[in-house]
Amino acid sequence: MSTVATQNFVPVAELKAAKGRSLWQDAFRRLRHEKVAMISLAIIIAYLVMAALCAAGLLFTNYNVTDHGAAYLPPGAGHWMGTDIFGRDVMARAAHGTITSLIVGFFGAALAVVIGTVMGAISGYFGGVIDELIVWFYTTVDTIPYILLVVAFSFVVGPGLSTLCLAIGLTSWIGHCRIVRSEFMKHRDREYVHGATALGAGHARRIFVHILPNVFHLVLINFSLGFVTAVKSEVILSYLGLGVAAGTPSWGMMISDAKLELAREVWWGLAAATFFMFFLVLAFTLFNDALRDALDPKLKSR
Amino acid sequence: MLKFILRRLLYMIPIFFGITLVTFVLFNVAGGDPAAQAAGRYATPDQITVMRAEMGLNKPLLNQYFDLVTQLFTFDFGRSWSSKQQISHLITAGIGPSLTVTFPGFVISLLITIPLSLLVAHKRGTFFDKATLVICLALTAISSVVYVLAGQYFFAFRWGMFPISGWDPSWDGRWQYAALPIIIMVSLSLGSYILFFRTVFLDEMYQDYVRTARSKGLGNAKILLKHVLRNALVPIITLVVLQVPFLITGSLLTESFFGIPGLGGLIYQAIQEADFPVIKAMTIISAVLYMVFQLISDILYALVDPKIRLG
Amino acid sequence: MADKNNIIEVRNLSVEFRTDEGTVRAVKNISFNIPRGKTVGLVGESGSGKSVTSLAAMRLIPNPPGKITSGEILLDGKDLLKLTEGQMRDIRGNQISMIFQEPMTSLNPVFTVGDQIAETLMLHQKLSKTAALAKSLDLMTQVGIPNPSERIKSYPHELSGGQRQRVMIAMAIACEPDVLIADEPTTALDVTIQKQILDLLADLQKKYQMSILFITHDLGVIADIADEVVVMYRGDIVEKGTTEQIFTKPQHPYTKGLLACRPSLDSNPRRLPVVSDFMNAEGQERPLDVTVMKQQKQNRVVSDAQTTLLQIQNVKKHFPLKKGFFGGVQSWVKAVDDVTLNVRKGRTLGLVGESGCGKTTLGRTILRLIEPTAGSIIYNGTDITKLDREAMRAMRRKMQIIFQDPYASLNPRMTVGAALMEPMIIHNLGNGRNERLEMAGELMKRVGLDRAMLNRYPHEFSGGQRQRICIARALAVKPEFIICDESVSALDVSIQAQILNLLLDLQEEMHLTYVFISHDLAVVKFISDEVAVMYNGKVVEMNDAVGIYEAPQHDYTKKLLSAIPKGMPKHLS
Repeated sequence: MSTVATQNFVPVAELKAAKGRSLWQDAFRRLRHEKVAMISLAIIIAYLVMAALCAAGLLFTNYNVTDHGAAYLPPGAGHWMGTDIFGRDVMARAAHGTITSLIVGFFGAALAVVIGTVMGAISGYFGGVIDELIVWFYTTVDTIPYILLVVAFSFVVGPGLSTLCLAIGLTSWIGHCRIVRSEFMKHRDREYVHGATALGAGHARRIFVHILPNVFHLVLINFSLGFVTAVKSEVILSYLGLGVAAGTPSWGMMISDAKLELAREVWWGLAAATFFMFFLVLAFTLFNDALRDALDPKLKSR
Repeated sequence: MLKFILRRLLYMIPIFFGITLVTFVLFNVAGGDPAAQAAGRYATPDQITVMRAEMGLNKPLLNQYFDLVTQLFTFDFGRSWSSKQQISHLITAGIGPSLTVTFPGFVISLLITIPLSLLVAHKRGTFFDKATLVICLALTAISSVVYVLAGQYFFAFRWGMFPISGWDPSWDGRWQYAALPIIIMVSLSLGSYILFFRTVFLDEMYQDYVRTARSKGLGNAKILLKHVLRNALVPIITLVVLQVPFLITGSLLTESFFGIPGLGGLIYQAIQEADFPVIKAMTIISAVLYMVFQLISDILYALVDPKIRLG
Repeated sequence: MADKNNIIEVRNLSVEFRTDEGTVRAVKNISFNIPRGKTVGLVGESGSGKSVTSLAAMRLIPNPPGKITSGEILLDGKDLLKLTEGQMRDIRGNQISMIFQEPMTSLNPVFTVGDQIAETLMLHQKLSKTAALAKSLDLMTQVGIPNPSERIKSYPHELSGGQRQRVMIAMAIACEPDVLIADEPTTALDVTIQKQILDLLADLQKKYQMSILFITHDLGVIADIADEVVVMYRGDIVEKGTTEQIFTKPQHPYTKGLLACRPSLDSNPRRLPVVSDFMNAEGQERPLDVTVMKQQKQNRVVSDAQTTLLQIQNVKKHFPLKKGFFGGVQSWVKAVDDVTLNVRKGRTLGLVGESGCGKTTLGRTILRLIEPTAGSIIYNGTDITKLDREAMRAMRRKMQIIFQDPYASLNPRMTVGAALMEPMIIHNLGNGRNERLEMAGELMKRVGLDRAMLNRYPHEFSGGQRQRICIARALAVKPEFIICDESVSALDVSIQAQILNLLLDLQEEMHLTYVFISHDLAVVKFISDEVAVMYNGKVVEMNDAVGIYEAPQHDYTKKLLSAIPKGMPKHLS
């Protein structure tokens, strides 16, 4: 029979390799090997850089230059994506719209994830009456249609960029909260947490040192999901007249303006905004998919 | 089973309380002064005071809250600020047109996406699967507003295949107006539905019972259509039933674009004109509808899943 | 040419799996036969490739990531690997059928068991639904399901674990197959149920003249029922022969080690031999140190004169079972029902019972990981159920626990070093990080691991190594008392022996007191001084370790003892 090497005997040479590899390192190593994920990441970074350059006044500085004589110019040499009703360069406005979308996406998703994680953790870890109250609260909020909740909220606070972020954040935490809650309930009864209890660890240590790091990958995944949802919500809310202040470049405003423009065969505003948004959202979604596979290898190869 | 339904019904009481409370807080407590908005921008303080009395806003908060609950039970939400019509009439009139578009759209979407997702899940890992996945992700990366705008622009405006907008209340006449919105609704949901169903089916296909079915000598078709589909029915039913309230309240976007006199259009109009009573009524009605269908989905869930049936 | 006496011949079979880390050769060029009407036991520990082999025979290896790279599997001389998928389907469930380890998940939860048995009959014998159901009823009677005419309409979750496995068997024998592949069919079951299933399989085999390929990690299980045994190790067959040969004259050192390392009821060794006593890292035989193996366990004094470290007095733990209409609790599960036990200092109390008997709940209640419903737990004179949070936390230094699943009991996001230092931080042991690191290193050495591994994460260790880390972690607070809750149950037998030896060594060195909880009587007998048998939340019998095996009093204890596989072919023992 052939050579038998056994796990009972510790292969010393192998174990001498000093540093261990954490699950995070493992996950990011896996992620690095995913071509699609890396391309998506590059696209996301490109958007970030573009937004930063626009914000710093280094790129597309002409986004607010009006020229009434040059209204609704079709795409051409001077304006690659044409001009809008005030003769402003559509491509510059779409590029600057990235800033709005990134802000809404980031703060909307971050707020939702923070609320969801805190509520879910408390609810799932402690259980009992607190849990029942939180579940009651989010079941209630969940029954009210998202759009109407945002509308009501915008009426209360008044429209604007920060309202947009707040409204999206305050209404989209429920899904994440549910997931975090059920994960905390599951982990609370895992043997490693019982083990920590047996060693004398208190609630804070169990929650922050033990359970939270084990559910944190969900926070990342849900943040990136929430980002996409927020960017899409901005468009719908802009269409409903609840978007950013007039004049601020945003994809949502460009798309909702297109309602009137299309009747005049002016399609480039819509096309430009859709084009810019498409690649950001697609890159984020693809990256999120790869991220989930990398962080949760059980689901892999499906 | 009866006990389960009763318990579930009882659980609706705190949720109902929550819904009315949240609506109340949003619209009556936090939402600025509705009277000032109702009276219009140029109203004098006196006019506003009169308005307040008319709207019952000078009553104590607790009474106002009971008014809200009474409104819901008597289905009498007062009149719209802008059209001055009975809100309950507006709502009952809107359900028909909304369903005309959403119901066929939803059924067609399911008929297309469920078989397609089964096929995709069956061919998991192949080029076909990956290509479908990318296409679906790409479809979901485009805003729904763009679908509606582009659909109307090309099919109606450019190619004249459908009327640009409008409505005919007669049964036969409405379809020419509903056709394009239905097509748009279907294409809008394709991507996300296929992604959802694919995950549902894949989750089932990795279960041990599928291996048992194969070890019995069953073929792929039988395994998919009998064993997997029957188990996947639970999440599918949840999705389908919880979608119904949204079918009733209609689509905000499509209805407003195509001038369909449904509930979605009503909400859109109300938002544009800051028509508080209408938004409030629609918020609370949508929430209660959703709550009711959640109950129905739970009961159906219990019927489909033998584990719950007896428990 | 194929031998007419063999129903199945496996020739040069190789199977590979593609993983992130590269290609893994799960089965390496193996050959063996299954004679007609005989039972072949395929034995191996986790990762030996035994299950992969059985799935290959059914052509059920998931592809990707798995692939049969070479070989032939001949059924009656016909190569299964050359058949089309359609031809193979006619064979599955008809000529070769299979039962699995987990009867719960292996049955479809939304169909009645009757329908699931009938499905096979309708498929292969083209019976009508009525006829198939009638035959299913007959099959359910044959496999010994009580009240079959009612049970036929049941869903899987309404049956007990043993009944579910009987349904799986009924389904498998429905078309009177030539070969039945049983992949660890009793591993998930209690020992008394295991015995019933084994008896049933033996009966059915006689009746239908089937061949059985019985896959298991436990040599003891197949001793009674197998005619031939094939031993697999890391994808290779290391030995094959008749059951008698394997059990009486094993040739390969691995087989010898495997046979020796399992504690048995009728011997009383001081230490368990382990595989590495027989075989070196290269798989070569090594000279045996016979003196160690011959040492007998000294039965230690366990009398009331001995200091009692822990008194468990009338402890009860009831869980609410059903909530009433308005949320009030209507009935309770009495998981622990009035248990009184004394644990003597420096001794080991074994707590044995089948699943659901309350032994794990009792263990956790002792440490107040679960609050008891009633009763007192007196540790060294202090009733710990009355301690407040701070005092209890301080008390935890003295009382520790080691769990069953070494994969679940370490935080996957913490390095081993951090896990070992955590208790020191909580209880303020050691001065600063360096000293604690030094102490952690010492602990690693003590449990037989290299201190250089402190920077590693749990997933980089094998199950046995992880259990050693769990032990080291429990030792970090220098406890007096440790509860071992099924601490070796999830491990392969060869690893189990190592851990048991380690626990014994540590007890001697550090004067530890153990409560050892297990479903495995042989293991409990080996390690314990006294044994308490639990049944339905109560302690039904308690005696010293030898006494309980030699003179069991309670009926349940007798039943448990008789159900244990002897680990020797019947006619030899």
